Amino acid sequence: MSTQAAKPGEILHLSLILGGALRDSDGARLGRVEDLIVRLGGSDYPPITGFLATIAGRQSYLPAERVARIEPGTVTLSKAKLDLRPFARRPQEVLLKHDLLDHQLINVEGARLVRANEIELARLEGWWRVVGVDTGPRGGLRRLLPKAIGRRISTGEFLDWASVEPFSGDVPAVRLRVPHPKLAKLHPAQIADLVEAASHEEGKEIIEAVGQDSELEADVFEELDARHQLEFVAGRSDSEVAELLARMAPDDAADMVAELPEVRREDVIEGLPPVARRKVRALLGYDPAEAGGLMSPDFVSVYRQATVAEALDRVQRSALADELLATVYVMDARHRFVGTLPLAALVRADPTADVVDLEVQYVPNLIPEADFEEVARLMADYNLTAAPVIDTEERMIGVVTVDDVLEVLLPKGWRRRFGLLGDE
Amino acid sequence: MPGRVPAAIRRVRSLASARPHLPSRLRSRRSRVLVFLGLLGPGLIAANAGNDAGGIATYSEVGAKYGYTLLWAMVLITVSLALVQRSAARMGTVTGKGLAELIRERYGIRWSAFATLAVLVANFGICISDFVGIGAALGLAGIPVQISVPIAAAVIWLIIVRGSYRSAERIFVWMTIPFFAYPLAAILAHPDWGEVGHALVVPQLQGNSEFLLLFVAMAGTTITPYMQLYLQSAVVERGATEKDLRAESREAVGGALFADLIAAFIIIATGATLYVSGVHSIGSAADAAKALGPLAGQYAELLFGIGLLGASLLAAAILPIATSYVVAESLGFEKGIGRRTEEAPVFVGLITAMIVVSTIVAMVPGVPVISLLVGVQVVNGVLLPINLFFIWRLARNEELMGKHRNRGAVDWVTAATVAITSTLSLILVGVTVLGL
Repeated sequence: MSTQAAKPGEILHLSLILGGALRDSDGARLGRVEDLIVRLGGSDYPPITGFLATIAGRQSYLPAERVARIEPGTVTLSKAKLDLRPFARRPQEVLLKHDLLDHQLINVEGARLVRANEIELARLEGWWRVVGVDTGPRGGLRRLLPKAIGRRISTGEFLDWASVEPFSGDVPAVRLRVPHPKLAKLHPAQIADLVEAASHEEGKEIIEAVGQDSELEADVFEELDARHQLEFVAGRSDSEVAELLARMAPDDAADMVAELPEVRREDVIEGLPPVARRKVRALLGYDPAEAGGLMSPDFVSVYRQATVAEALDRVQRSALADELLATVYVMDARHRFVGTLPLAALVRADPTADVVDLEVQYVPNLIPEADFEEVARLMADYNLTAAPVIDTEERMIGVVTVDDVLEVLLPKGWRRRFGLLGDE
Repeated sequence: MPGRVPAAIRRVRSLASARPHLPSRLRSRRSRVLVFLGLLGPGLIAANAGNDAGGIATYSEVGAKYGYTLLWAMVLITVSLALVQRSAARMGTVTGKGLAELIRERYGIRWSAFATLAVLVANFGICISDFVGIGAALGLAGIPVQISVPIAAAVIWLIIVRGSYRSAERIFVWMTIPFFAYPLAAILAHPDWGEVGHALVVPQLQGNSEFLLLFVAMAGTTITPYMQLYLQSAVVERGATEKDLRAESREAVGGALFADLIAAFIIIATGATLYVSGVHSIGSAADAAKALGPLAGQYAELLFGIGLLGASLLAAAILPIATSYVVAESLGFEKGIGRRTEEAPVFVGLITAMIVVSTIVAMVPGVPVISLLVGVQVVNGVLLPINLFFIWRLARNEELMGKHRNRGAVDWVTAATVAITSTLSLILVGVTVLGL
């Protein structure tokens, strides 16, 4: 958690400004400050762009340019003349009290949701900006106690705004596209955890923000639980879902297809590119508790006649994820499985040597119907991080990697860090 | 080398072993949805947790003192309860947020802190009374409190803290089965069903303050704040989304109907026996069971005892959960059934503390349960109007609920319910505090 020791006198608490007096340049009281408006995006610390105030019983908007000073309990205008307009949200603007205070925010540093007890402002680069959020007891206490006592509570440790990503407010009708650049710092699994912990609207906002980068979106979907996957594809067309699935790893895509309502399944599969379609269809035929259902159909294999340099070249040119490239599989001329070669062995070997001259480890392999216990036992006994799966003609059809096995083996409740749903 | 094993044998083997269970990939979703979102869930649990030891005592008292006279009021109370529970379930489904969370976000930290404190005090009191109820029910079977209560407490704690939400929900649904003891007891009591029918439809009033007070107490014990708080949080935790809206509202209404039907049967059972024989004063639910023995037979007493045990167990489990949800939601702590202590220290700690303290208090002989319940009633009486007001305002809020908001007749009837229930509840508080 990134915290910042506050220098007394510099930090202004939002709670002390709200409900305070709005005064003109002569000090005459005009009304009551109701809310502050900030513009997100652009700079690191969002500047205050306006105020909402109740003046003579009517709610009015004041642009920030008209304000000369902000102090605890008072906001002073720069002119004596009052110029009122109705408030209309501009893009990327949020209301501090209505949308942020007491609401959930993402603490990007810790990849968790926190609740804002207080919002801290400070004068930076010539104007008042939001510098952080107090999630601790001090901010809460200051607002709970009567103002006379509350104002004496000093600034607590607060979360710097640089590690906060707010939601744009739970107002779907006026929801404006607020960019969430800080989310990109998180691992897809962390983003998925956040989505699972958040409410419907908040989760939707995260997914929409992540959707700007379709690769990241696919990675997040791979990590989401089935319930949330369904929730977020419910409003999409079949071709959009197919596009998303095509970017996902085939085994995760197959799992998601299986969760789709039956009426959509066929149409979505038809929308996939031919290669992905074939893989997903093949995987859907297996029981997910067996090797065939656990495996990924993607791996790198070479003929036994290949040289080490050729094998390394295949690895280098492969688009697969790192964990699927840790082992290269060797097959004979009739595509039958011969053995495995760890990537480390290839790197150490003389590039001109033939693959067969290296000690090709013969690894016991699995049939697609091997049940989960057999898969786990084999990998434990032979110290494998990936186990090959072969069909009846001894051709290799996929690999079960250790993460797929761990996911199933995790005791109930360990799987989620945030997820509220204790999956069976 | 793995050999090929026929599929049937593998299935049997996997059932016998502790192999992790994975659902088949292409199994129809429909069957799962039907099981989980069917008629049994948080709505049933929440409403029935309201028929706890204190509730049974009140219904027994109503039956013993006035026979079937107040049955018509039960009909009105049921409509109110169903509406309020439905609103809570819908809010949880549409927003994905608990009630305490929504109050904090919409009405600020002061209201939410006040409501949280009231919930904490009131629920703690009710929780203690339900542990006392467990002891009293098993005491009827001759099991000393010092043995029964700690064992029950340990079981409840394990279900909440060690299980998952799904398993806990399933156990809670099973725990509503003992409630069927009351209809059976009512049948054993041989009521005059014609009279019962008449009392259900024709409102009868008596002008004395005692009658009025009991009426108010009955409304207060049937619609209690923790029921809505638990329901909304549970709907969120089970992950309901807009497509489940119908199922969830139906379930909330169904749960309320079932719970009030049980309450009516308690009134009928005691009305047909205790009232007719002139036993007009009932101290507790266990007293009611004991008084029933000589009048309606051993089985009626046994059934009342079973009902009390089931009701107290269910409420003793729900109250710590509801309280912890509220505190975690309004203060922003991690929450969830089955979370471990390191993951959600405040949530688990509060549940543990409530169960431990309630157990200890229930084991101490001579706890003034009656005066405790009176105090709780006052706090609840203050909390209920606030809670109902927020539910009414939030459920009709367009920003929050969009096209699923309460409007038209539903909104009007909810508003009327809130106004009437709140007035009654404040009258009760006034009377209790002034000692009239």
